[in-house]
Amino acid sequence: MPNELTQIIGNCAQVSSLGFAVINESGVLVCANPSFCEMFFITSPEAAAGCALAEHVSSRFYSINADLSKAFTCPAPDIIELRLERSSEPLTMHIAAGNDLRMLTVNRVSKPLVDKKLPNNAYQDPLTGLGNRMLLNDQIANWQPSGPESLSLAVIMIDLDRFKKINDTLGHGAGDTLLKLVAKRILSATRDNDTVIRMEGDEFVVLHTIGFQPIGAISVAKRIVELMSRSFLIEGQQTNIGASVGIAALNHGTDNIADLLKHADLALYAAKAAGRGIVKFFEPALAQRAMDRRNLEIDLSRALGLKEFVLMYQPQVNMADGTLQGFEALIRWHNPKRGLVSPADFIPLAEQTGEINAIGEWTLRTACKEAMSWDGNFSVAVNVSPIQFENESIVDIVRNALIATGLAPERLELEITEGVMMKDYETAQKHLWAIKKMGVGIAMDDFGTGYSSLSYLNSFPFSKIKIDQSFVRGESSPKSRALVQAIISLGASLKMTIIAEGVETKEQFDELAAGGCQSAQGYLISRPIATPAIAGFISDLKNKPR
Amino acid sequence: MNEPLFRLIYISRNEISGDEATLNREIDQILASSRVKNPIENITGALMFNAGCFAQVLEGSHNEIQNTFERIQCDPRHSHVVVLAFEPTSERSFSNWSMAYFGTNSNAAAKFGDIANKAGFDPSLLEGDRIFDLLKEHLIEAESASHRKL
Repeated sequence: MPNELTQIIGNCAQVSSLGFAVINESGVLVCANPSFCEMFFITSPEAAAGCALAEHVSSRFYSINADLSKAFTCPAPDIIELRLERSSEPLTMHIAAGNDLRMLTVNRVSKPLVDKKLPNNAYQDPLTGLGNRMLLNDQIANWQPSGPESLSLAVIMIDLDRFKKINDTLGHGAGDTLLKLVAKRILSATRDNDTVIRMEGDEFVVLHTIGFQPIGAISVAKRIVELMSRSFLIEGQQTNIGASVGIAALNHGTDNIADLLKHADLALYAAKAAGRGIVKFFEPALAQRAMDRRNLEIDLSRALGLKEFVLMYQPQVNMADGTLQGFEALIRWHNPKRGLVSPADFIPLAEQTGEINAIGEWTLRTACKEAMSWDGNFSVAVNVSPIQFENESIVDIVRNALIATGLAPERLELEITEGVMMKDYETAQKHLWAIKKMGVGIAMDDFGTGYSSLSYLNSFPFSKIKIDQSFVRGESSPKSRALVQAIISLGASLKMTIIAEGVETKEQFDELAAGGCQSAQGYLISRPIATPAIAGFISDLKNKPR
Repeated sequence: MNEPLFRLIYISRNEISGDEATLNREIDQILASSRVKNPIENITGALMFNAGCFAQVLEGSHNEIQNTFERIQCDPRHSHVVVLAFEPTSERSFSNWSMAYFGTNSNAAAKFGDIANKAGFDPSLLEGDRIFDLLKEHLIEAESASHRKL
């Protein structure tokens, strides 16, 4: 019953969501069902007949087939992917073989985000519908090379910049919406073979399975950074974020597939450190640097317990008569493996890890205790990091150090940099005034560098200003001399003592003294002195005929 | 239609590269896809363009505008998208979706004048609006900065 069958198929075609059409040997439409017409913007099945399909399609769709008319007139079967926009889901057109008439079937294939063989939930991020970390591990573990070495696996790790701010200001609902939009944008920048993963929070990974590396992964990464830098519209607000990206590719700096994620993470860390919106490709030096840093971190965390820190004391003298006023306590780290480690190398790290709190407290206590052993009521200046001022208990720590050691508060002086004021102005002010009220002196360190805001001098209880050594060294230049003079008269008017550090020559000393600077420290007077030698230094100075 | 209405206005750089035929085809395609998609999503507004720049006004519900904007943001034919306004609005300025060429080149104006007709663009709907004047200025500036003169 061929007629009945034809009719049934015909009826099915009328209501099917698949697009059906028949073309002749010149690629002209003979007939099409409603779905086909809808997909290809043909007003009705009646209007379809006679339409030159190649021309019609190529003016509206993207296709990798350069010459569609050839594809439609060739008698061999073919599959053509058509996209309304370059990044959109493709329509897949199957062309059946035939000599004069050819059947076309078109379906909208939405690519499954997650491999159908796997139980979806376990491998899927519920918020964005992307794959999750488990899927990533799975895919990396099961990856097989399928071409030359340059065609290799790359991990593109993406971290959003300023995402936390969106969460904090617009709420977590807005944050979730943003993550969904971000997921779609990342998908639009990737290829069909790539797997997109949401790791956790605002971190995403694109597993770039087939591409010439490193160019393939870098171009995807740059596109992602570009897309993330464009505005989002969320909850009635325009929102701008950004992204940093780290890449690691097999055979391109990473030899072992198990290291890919770790290396991409290191590259991402370097990208973030270099600023925002940056793409970094992993290189072995990054791993070395990270390893060095990690080792330093571990050694540093053990240094207090192993008693590897010592304090040295650099004398500060009155410039008018040369009498000893006090010492600045300077920390030194002697590590058996590393030797003497410069504070410039370990203090920033300690500030990052938070170790500075313990180190700072030890320094304060040790300086107070050792000052008690000196023959004379000399002052002791202790450097305090801005990080220590973030800690609520800084006031108690200072008070306890004084109580425990019995040092008179007037003999202690805290040296702080403007970083303390810049972090949290209000809290810093509160803590500094509380410390000042105990009778402890507060000195502004490194004055003249940084912002040197005069409003700090106005609202914070400084008793002393320390002129940065860069000005002292530059004393011979007229500009530096003028700046030093200005700082000295500023201090005099505000009734703050002025001390110059890094005084190395007699000329510098005389010049500063003539300009009205009251105190000085530096190699000219003495290098920092180890604790056991302090008593000798003090008695020598006392006995020195003047 | 009880959902609150929003209006989005943005300008972007026209990144369509190639000869006039390519631009023609891409513009045709934007028109075709917008005419199919925008009525479904209940988006109205206007797209103005020339060789250098797109300027677009979109009106619709918050989420539909968000969807459309996401599609635009991922579309390689645009770059440097600058949002000029995104705000609730009490009524639509456009009854449908329209598109028009805005440039100084008279040849192109003649050629793309057809698009304005096809798309039902009625500039009088925008005339006198400060933001529209601003958009026109941006369009003309971008055209003079563009390498390709239509």
